[in-house]
Amino acid sequence: MKKIVSVIFLVFLTLGVVRAQEPTSAGYTPSSYYTFSWNTAFPIGNFHDWVSQPGPAGFDFGGRYLIRNGLAAGFNIGWQRVAKIYDNQTYTIPDKGIAVTARNYRFTWMVPFQAVIAYHFIPQKVVSPYVGLGIGGDYMEHHLMIQEYDIYKTCWDFSLTPEIGILARFGAFSNWGAILAFNYKWTTNRIDLYEEESRDLQMLNIKVGIALTIR
Amino acid sequence: MKTKPGLLILGLGLLLTLSCSKYPPSSERLLEDLAVITQYDTKIDFNNYHTFIMATSIVKITNRDTTNVSDATATAILDQISKNMEARGFIKAITPVVPDFGVQVVYFQNTTVYTYYYDWWGYYPSWYYYYPYYPVYYSSYTTGLANIELVDLKVVDQNKKQLYLRWNGYIRGLLTGDHTTAEILRCVDQAFIQTPQLKTTAN
Repeated sequence: MKKIVSVIFLVFLTLGVVRAQEPTSAGYTPSSYYTFSWNTAFPIGNFHDWVSQPGPAGFDFGGRYLIRNGLAAGFNIGWQRVAKIYDNQTYTIPDKGIAVTARNYRFTWMVPFQAVIAYHFIPQKVVSPYVGLGIGGDYMEHHLMIQEYDIYKTCWDFSLTPEIGILARFGAFSNWGAILAFNYKWTTNRIDLYEEESRDLQMLNIKVGIALTIR
Repeated sequence: MKTKPGLLILGLGLLLTLSCSKYPPSSERLLEDLAVITQYDTKIDFNNYHTFIMATSIVKITNRDTTNVSDATATAILDQISKNMEARGFIKAITPVVPDFGVQVVYFQNTTVYTYYYDWWGYYPSWYYYYPYYPVYYSSYTTGLANIELVDLKVVDQNKKQLYLRWNGYIRGLLTGDHTTAEILRCVDQAFIQTPQLKTTAN
């Protein structure tokens, strides 16, 4: 009985090793790849004071072109929104003697656009980890809604986004795959609405999406 | 293997749907909330005032007519204003002495009229109200609005026949939701809370 269990265990273990090795086995080095990801943003720092909860409403489209030895260059464009409702907030305009208390709905939506350089450590492998840096800008709209009044400001910025991630193809010779990435984004964007003032908006992002690799 | 692109397209659609999903609330939900907006004359010193007189009814202005309302809710609102005024150091005056402030509440319902005059006290008939500050105007009052007004009866402009409003508090959104008297009274309190300048130590 012990023998049978040991053999079954060994078989499963072997299968596990084989499966574990398969994703990292060599296939081909893509010449380029495109990604489409669902993006969740986590405002931090001053941005967190404005909207203190993550925004799962966002997507990102990117393209990378491998230049040589795992070095890639490309672009990212996307759309993202963070939002939260705040109850009984009071805003004042002291020089005019005005004060307003109401439930309000704050949100920021943005269109990021960046040029990206990335380095893939093992681009020929099925699972290809990478580090990257995005340099570009954003168009952001910051809204403060009180009843039917929508007070908003728009702002363009400069942004930097260091990123780590994994590009994983569904098979050694598959064109399709998945991407999982995590990045920190620093921008020069600012919010200046009544007493709400935030500068150098920052956020963390998690991207989960699909990838199409080109041989 | 043939189903893979189909699944991916489906996944793509799901991602788009999730990422673009509308975040609640819609603006209609915000409209159901009450908002309290106050404004005071920053150029006057409230310590120079110490008495006030209260209206005993609320003036209701609609598209059709103007009436006085003195039901239980109206009385509760006026009492709450009076309590807040007294808590800020003002003394309720006894007629026929002309007090420093006249306090009245005007309730607008389904109307776009802004210019109005209603002197509940009868001290200065046919005079006009004048805001020394640029008031928070609203293009329409279709959401229902109560305006608490603090009219200066001490400093009057005899030539222009003007009465100055030194403070006003709007409670806005009274027609859009199902609001209780307790909620409205909380809004009255909030109007005073957010105007700490409205107090006197003259007494």
